[in-house]
Amino acid sequence: MSEKNIPAKKRIKDLTLLEKVYVPEIFKGLALTLKTMLRPKFTMEYPEEKFIPPASYRGRPILVMEKNGEERCVACGLCARVCPPLAIEVQASETENEKERYPVRFEINMLRCIFCGFCEEVCPEEAIIMSMDYELAFTNREDAIYGKDKLLVPVNQSSDKIGFLRSYR
Amino acid sequence: MPKIKIDGKEIEFKQGQTIIEAAKDHGIEIAHFCWHPKLSVSGNCRMCLVEVEKMPKLVIACATTAADGMVVRTQSDKSLAARNAVMEFFLINHPLDCPICDEAGECKLQDYTYKHSVGESRFVEEKVKKGKRIQIGPYVMFDADRCIMCSRCIRFCDEIAKDPELTFTKRGDRVFLTTYPGEKLDNLYSMNVVDICPVGALTNSDFRFKSRVWEMSLTNSVCTGCARGCNIELWVRNNEVLRLVPKYNEDVNSYWMCDHGRVNTFKFVNAKDRVDGPHIRVEGNLVRVGWDEAYAEAASRLKGFSKDEIAVLGSAFATVEDNYAAAKFAKSVLGTGNLDFVKHVDPAFGDDILRKNDITPNSFGAELAGVKPSKNGNDFNGIIKGIKEGKIKALYILEDDIIAANTELESVFAKLDLLIAHATNFNKTTVLADIVFPASTYAEKNGTFVNFSGRVQRIRPAVATLDVDRALEGMSMSRWDKFGTKFDRWAQGKHFDARASWKILVGLASALGQKMKYGMAEEVFLDLAANIEAFNGLDYDTLGEFGVQLNNLNSKPSDKN
Amino acid sequence: MEAIGNFLWSIISFYNFLLIRIVIVLVLMLLTAAYLVYFERKISAWIQDRLGPNRVGWKGSLQSFADVFKLLLKEDIVPDNANKMIHTLAPMLALFVAFTTYAVIPIGPGINIAGYEIPLVIADVNIGILYILALTSLGVYAITFAGWSSGSKYSLLGGIRSSAQMISYEISMGFSIGGVVLLSESLRPIAIVESQSGWMWNAFVQPIGFITFLVSAFAETNRLPFDLPEAEPELVGGYHTEYSSMKFAAFFLAEYANMLIASTLIVTLYLGGWQIPYIETLGLSSGLVVALQIAGFLLKVALLLFFFIWVRWTIPRFRYDQLMSLGWKVMFPLSLINIVWVAFLIMIFKI
Repeated sequence: MSEKNIPAKKRIKDLTLLEKVYVPEIFKGLALTLKTMLRPKFTMEYPEEKFIPPASYRGRPILVMEKNGEERCVACGLCARVCPPLAIEVQASETENEKERYPVRFEINMLRCIFCGFCEEVCPEEAIIMSMDYELAFTNREDAIYGKDKLLVPVNQSSDKIGFLRSYR
Repeated sequence: MPKIKIDGKEIEFKQGQTIIEAAKDHGIEIAHFCWHPKLSVSGNCRMCLVEVEKMPKLVIACATTAADGMVVRTQSDKSLAARNAVMEFFLINHPLDCPICDEAGECKLQDYTYKHSVGESRFVEEKVKKGKRIQIGPYVMFDADRCIMCSRCIRFCDEIAKDPELTFTKRGDRVFLTTYPGEKLDNLYSMNVVDICPVGALTNSDFRFKSRVWEMSLTNSVCTGCARGCNIELWVRNNEVLRLVPKYNEDVNSYWMCDHGRVNTFKFVNAKDRVDGPHIRVEGNLVRVGWDEAYAEAASRLKGFSKDEIAVLGSAFATVEDNYAAAKFAKSVLGTGNLDFVKHVDPAFGDDILRKNDITPNSFGAELAGVKPSKNGNDFNGIIKGIKEGKIKALYILEDDIIAANTELESVFAKLDLLIAHATNFNKTTVLADIVFPASTYAEKNGTFVNFSGRVQRIRPAVATLDVDRALEGMSMSRWDKFGTKFDRWAQGKHFDARASWKILVGLASALGQKMKYGMAEEVFLDLAANIEAFNGLDYDTLGEFGVQLNNLNSKPSDKN
Repeated sequence: MEAIGNFLWSIISFYNFLLIRIVIVLVLMLLTAAYLVYFERKISAWIQDRLGPNRVGWKGSLQSFADVFKLLLKEDIVPDNANKMIHTLAPMLALFVAFTTYAVIPIGPGINIAGYEIPLVIADVNIGILYILALTSLGVYAITFAGWSSGSKYSLLGGIRSSAQMISYEISMGFSIGGVVLLSESLRPIAIVESQSGWMWNAFVQPIGFITFLVSAFAETNRLPFDLPEAEPELVGGYHTEYSSMKFAAFFLAEYANMLIASTLIVTLYLGGWQIPYIETLGLSSGLVVALQIAGFLLKVALLLFFFIWVRWTIPRFRYDQLMSLGWKVMFPLSLINIVWVAFLIMIFKI
């Protein structure tokens, strides 16, 4: 019944004599840090050296501009509906073109955007896609709202991404 | 009562009802495109095919009269297969247009594709193209590709608008909806075809591409186009009314409303000429001032006149609450008996369907609320005469552009020493006014209208003002309203500095040293219900969704038309 | 003109160019301290698989000056509850101790330039070791003052820890030096260095004393694993929590200056100072020998400084009770054993 009957269990944290002396352990640690110190570093020195993302990368959303200089977007508003942080605002209007409808105003608030890519996924026209562009910096809230002027990017600049989207559709 | 069994549920029905009607009365929805409760049965969409025991084939629920002991199955394998097949047929030629279609989000075909279709098409050939963007009427845009040939619009024109304009031509998959030669879809009720069109074939060209329906909030209200008081829904996005849609009320307007009401009665709410904040005339120009300053100015100038020199005009455009407050303000605060309101009657406006000659929403209500001269006071004609003779020197007008209705009065009103007007928009009366108070429109306040037959109906705020906050007032909110912040451009819709007329009167009364203890519209209404016999026992809850018909009326409705 | 020139020359040449030596040592110290910060950051970065500062100047080499400039421009905040005089005095005291200690450390043997016999030490004091011990124990006042006068509980805890730690480790430090003094029979730093000719470095002769002194030096300089007075996770910043601007910079500078002192002291006492074993047998010219010896001294110091930094980024901080039990139960007995060992050596070999 007494506790003495229970054999002393060896615990992992029990140290050996050598470990208790501490000095060898110090040198082990020093050797480890020395090894790390001499290893080549993987840091990418950003402004000089830029990260080129793979085609699946989700950078800032852009609107695809067709070769005739017009957007593919028909302002259906599905991206605005699916957008979890409500970053997208679309105001549709009528155009004489065959597609009838176009966005007279298309704004993405990059401060709200969470780069989830839902808009890209939901778009029926392949008109909004997540670009490879990750360089987003603003100095005020107004600048963070990207209108059509900043969002429209010619289609040939996004061929990698569109190719990726089509191969996984 | 005879009984019928639908999907194992035994329900009673009235003799002569069809299966679909009996089911609808008991909350069982049988899918349908061409059937409409207020239109004749056409039976051409075949969507409502159901299995009836002891019948050799499936029957269409809309054209099969219910019989006692009938056993109907809407979810059996056979009817499911039939619905799938019908949907597949519909979708053969229906374009995949939803991204550019205004109907998306409230489209029957879209809904049924999710509910009743297998989601796959075996059709690989070219779809039939019939033409898009055809303006078949002043307010209606037609997309022939999207039409599923249900013929609801044709039957509506024939049976409800009583103005046959539409018909089908050709046969087979080339069937084409068109107007009769030389005709246009321009009857006074043409836009109802947009509501009943189950797809996006007929769309509202006034609302075309303005907004997605799921981005808007909707609020039940009452149309202000005429004394009928059609029940409507106000569809609002970013604090701006974008369209009106009729709301079902069998006792008033059924499912319909006229084009005038739908197109012309909301645009002033967000118009550029809205009165934004109180204005005082300084050196001939109206200058915007603060509320306290305007109240003080109005009070000090009103004090300069004797009781009989002041007249108050209520308004048939304002709510019952506003008129009641105006009557009380005239009688107990100003102490004048010169009190009346102006009726606006257009003999050419009314018809036998919905439209009434009285083009104000609340003339009966204004009358009931007590806006009438006291024994010694003058009525409207007396007031005009008094102004001409110089006996009446100050006039207080509620939301009513009297001069626009009768331009002869312009020279008469010019004689006034003081003209105070409540106005929603700058108009011909405010041109002469010395003080203009910004009044909330019917889309911005709580209140009641009494229609031509004596039916009290609620209006509710749909557009926020500086006075009425969307969240605090419990107004209907879209997703954007809920989550928008002051930094989001799409949540910065214009909020006008306007107040309900009764509230302005309360403020002015307090500036005159009198108390009118009303904090909200319902308190005005409760006071009125307690003091005016016709309204006894009513409150906003008992008015409910469809309003209440007043019975104990002393005066009979004047404009019976 | 000549009179003025003579006067100036007499000032400059006073006590074997004392002023010039002071200026050179001060500038060297400040520069070394500044670059110690830079190398500390660089080495810590390498140890943590990073690159470290690389924006200011070539490979970030001007980073320290940017930091100093930034600190200069910062607002000097003195807390309301602070004892303002002592709060200001503390960083000055810290700097004073750090700078003056260096006066007795010899960089190399004396050199003979144009007939002037110039010793490579500012003050060749015959009780130099006592002077160093006295001043380093004065250093604890700076920290205790700072901790107490700030009027903040974190600062106070840091100051108290510091004093307790300093007292505990100064004992083993003193006993370790006792062994060195026994061997060299002098308290004069130059004599101590000269006694370690050839491979007779004290580090080899009395390794236990070397280790105890090294550990105590870490503790005295408040470097990890002994940086309890400024333990960031528990005490925010310890005694310098309430310091900003140049006062904070003074503490910062003092810490690195102390590190330099500790390194030079260890080199002087245990690693043969400027001595390079058997260099005189190579037959080089005396000028070159002196130059090589100075270089050797600086190299030894540099290696020790690297060791200081390397240890800091390798070993975690002690717990307070561990610190105390190490100081009293391990370091103290070991340093006593060392004295016995040295005495034993002297007795056997009659050195």
